Amino acid sequence: MNYSEKAQQRIEAAIIEAQKNRAWYGTFMLFKREMMRFISIFGQTVISPVLSTLLFFLVFGYSLGGSIDNIQGVEYIDFIVPGLVMMSVITNAYFNSAFSFFIGKVHGTIVDLLASPISSFQILLAFSASSIIRGCLTGGLIWLIAGLMGANTLHNPALSILFMVLACFVFGLLGLAMAILATEFEHVNFIPSFVMMPLTFLGGVFYSITLLPEPWQTISHINPVLYIISGIREGMIGISDVPYWQGLLILFVSSAGLLAYTYYLLHSGKKLRE
Amino acid sequence: MQTYAPILDIQAVSKRYDSLQALNNLSFTVQPGEIFALLGPNGAGKTTLIGCITGLISRFEGSISVAGYDVKSASQITRQLIGFVPQELNFDGFFTTREVLHFQGGFYNVKPDNQKIEKILDDFGLLEKADVNTRQLSGGMKRRLMICKALLHDPVLLFLDEPTAGVDVELRDELWSYIENLKAQGVTIFLTTHYLEEAEKLADRIGIINKGKLLMIEDREAILNQFGRRWNLITTRNPVSDRFKTAMQSCPITYPEANQIKLSSPELDDCGDHSLANLQTVLDELKADNNEIIHIDGGRSSLESIFKEIVSADSQDSAML
Repeated sequence: MNYSEKAQQRIEAAIIEAQKNRAWYGTFMLFKREMMRFISIFGQTVISPVLSTLLFFLVFGYSLGGSIDNIQGVEYIDFIVPGLVMMSVITNAYFNSAFSFFIGKVHGTIVDLLASPISSFQILLAFSASSIIRGCLTGGLIWLIAGLMGANTLHNPALSILFMVLACFVFGLLGLAMAILATEFEHVNFIPSFVMMPLTFLGGVFYSITLLPEPWQTISHINPVLYIISGIREGMIGISDVPYWQGLLILFVSSAGLLAYTYYLLHSGKKLRE
Repeated sequence: MQTYAPILDIQAVSKRYDSLQALNNLSFTVQPGEIFALLGPNGAGKTTLIGCITGLISRFEGSISVAGYDVKSASQITRQLIGFVPQELNFDGFFTTREVLHFQGGFYNVKPDNQKIEKILDDFGLLEKADVNTRQLSGGMKRRLMICKALLHDPVLLFLDEPTAGVDVELRDELWSYIENLKAQGVTIFLTTHYLEEAEKLADRIGIINKGKLLMIEDREAILNQFGRRWNLITTRNPVSDRFKTAMQSCPITYPEANQIKLSSPELDDCGDHSLANLQTVLDELKADNNEIIHIDGGRSSLESIFKEIVSADSQDSAML
C-alpha cells in the first residue's frame, strides 16, 4: 500500500470520528482546565479575596459598625454582609475569565483553543461556568464565615444564591468580552478599577441609599449595581432599597446582552481571529 | 495509480489587512499522503494562509476545504482533522507537561490516556519532564511539547509552521525523521520553512509564495530539473588562451579567474542533458592548447539558489510595475 492509499484510509476513518464529535467533551475539558487554573493558585484566587473582604467586615462591621444605628431594623453587621459578598462575587467572576483568556493571548496558548473543534458558544459556556464557580466559591466562603461570626443572613438563601449565580454569569461574560478586546493588561484592569469598584461602593455596600439626601438618592438609581446589591440583600436579610425583581430583571437583560455580544466577538473573530 | 480527492483544496483565497494584500488569489491543492512545503521570505503570507486553514483567521475571501469540508461552515469537522504547530513558542505556565497534553487532547475528544501521553512524550524525549511545570522547559523542549500537542489527537493533516526555527541540529534531525515516519503512517504534512534544506530533504511538492502571490507549485524534482543548473569549475595551470575563448564562444562558459573556466548548463533541456557534451568539448580544447588541468569541481544548484532566483525575479517584476 502506498502513502496516498494509506492516507486516504486514515482520512476516511478520521472523518467518521470527526462527524461524531460535537466537542462537548472538549468543552468539559476546557471548563476543567479553567477550574484547575484557579485551584492551582488557590491562595491568590480564593483565600486572598476572602481575607481582604473579611477585613472590610471586621473594620466596618465590628469597629465602626458599633456606633451606627440599625438600618431598617437590621443590625449594621448583618446589613453589610450581602454587599461584601456581592463585591467579591463580581470581582472574582470578572477576573477569572478576563485574566485567563487574556493571559492565553499574551502567552500564545489561545491558538490551541481557537484551532480546536470547540465552538464559540462552547468556549463561552466553559469560561462562564468557571467564573460562576470561582465567584460563588469566594462569595460563599465570605457568607459562611460571616455566618460563623454571628451574622444573620439566611432570610431567603435560594434568592441569594440566584443573585450570586446570575451576577457571576454577567461579570464573567464581561471579563471575557474585555479580554477578547484588550491588547494590554491595562485594558483588562480598566473595568474593575474605573467602573466596577466605584459603582459597587456607590451601590450601597456600606449604606442604604435611603440615608442619602436628594439629589444623590435619585442619582443612585442610575447605578445598575445598586439593584444587584439590593437583590442579594433582600435574599440574605429581607430588606432592600429597590424591589428585588428589578435586580433580577437587570441581571437577566444584561446576561442576554452580554451573551449575544461575547458570542458575536468570539464567532465573528473580531479582534481575535484576525 | 489511483488518484484521490485533495485533502486540502484552496480556491481563490485572498486576505487583505488595510493596505497590505497578505494573500492574493491563491489556488492550489494538496494530495493525501504528501509532504507539501510552502516556501517564502518573511511576510510572504505563509502563516496567514495557515491561519485561514486552521481557523485562526476567520475572515478571508475564497474557499478552503479540508477532506471536502469547508473550513468555515464545517469548522468542527475540519479542525478535528487538523494538527497545528504554530511558529511562535507558547506554553501554559500553570500546568505540567502531562496536564497540558491531557487538556489539549481533551479539546479534541481524546479521553485521558496516560499511556498514549507517555508514549508521545517518550518519542520526543520529554518523558522525564512529564511532571515538570512547562515554565521550566527549555526553548527546544517547549517546541517538542507543541509538536506533541498537535499529534495527540492523530490528525490526518499536520501543519508545521517553521517547525525547526530556533532548534538545535539534534532536534532538527529527530524531527525530520519523525516527519518521514508520520508520512509513512498516512499523515499528510503541510510545512512552511525558511530552511530550504528542510524542504529539499522532505518535501514531495513545493510551493513558492512571495507578497501573498503563489509564484510556483511543482514537484521538488521538477523544480530542481527545471530551474536547477549543473556546473563544473575547471582550474588550469596556465591562463586560459584567447583561442580557447573564441573556440568556446557558443558554450555557456564564464571565467571567474584567468585560469578558471566555469561551465554551467540547465539540468535538462529539450535536447536532453548537454552538460557532458560541453564538458568534453572544453577538455578537448584545453588539450589542444596544451593547458594542464590541476583541479575540477562540480555540483548542482540547490533549492536555495533556485528559490532566491525566483523570489528575486518576482520582486524585480513587482518593482517595475
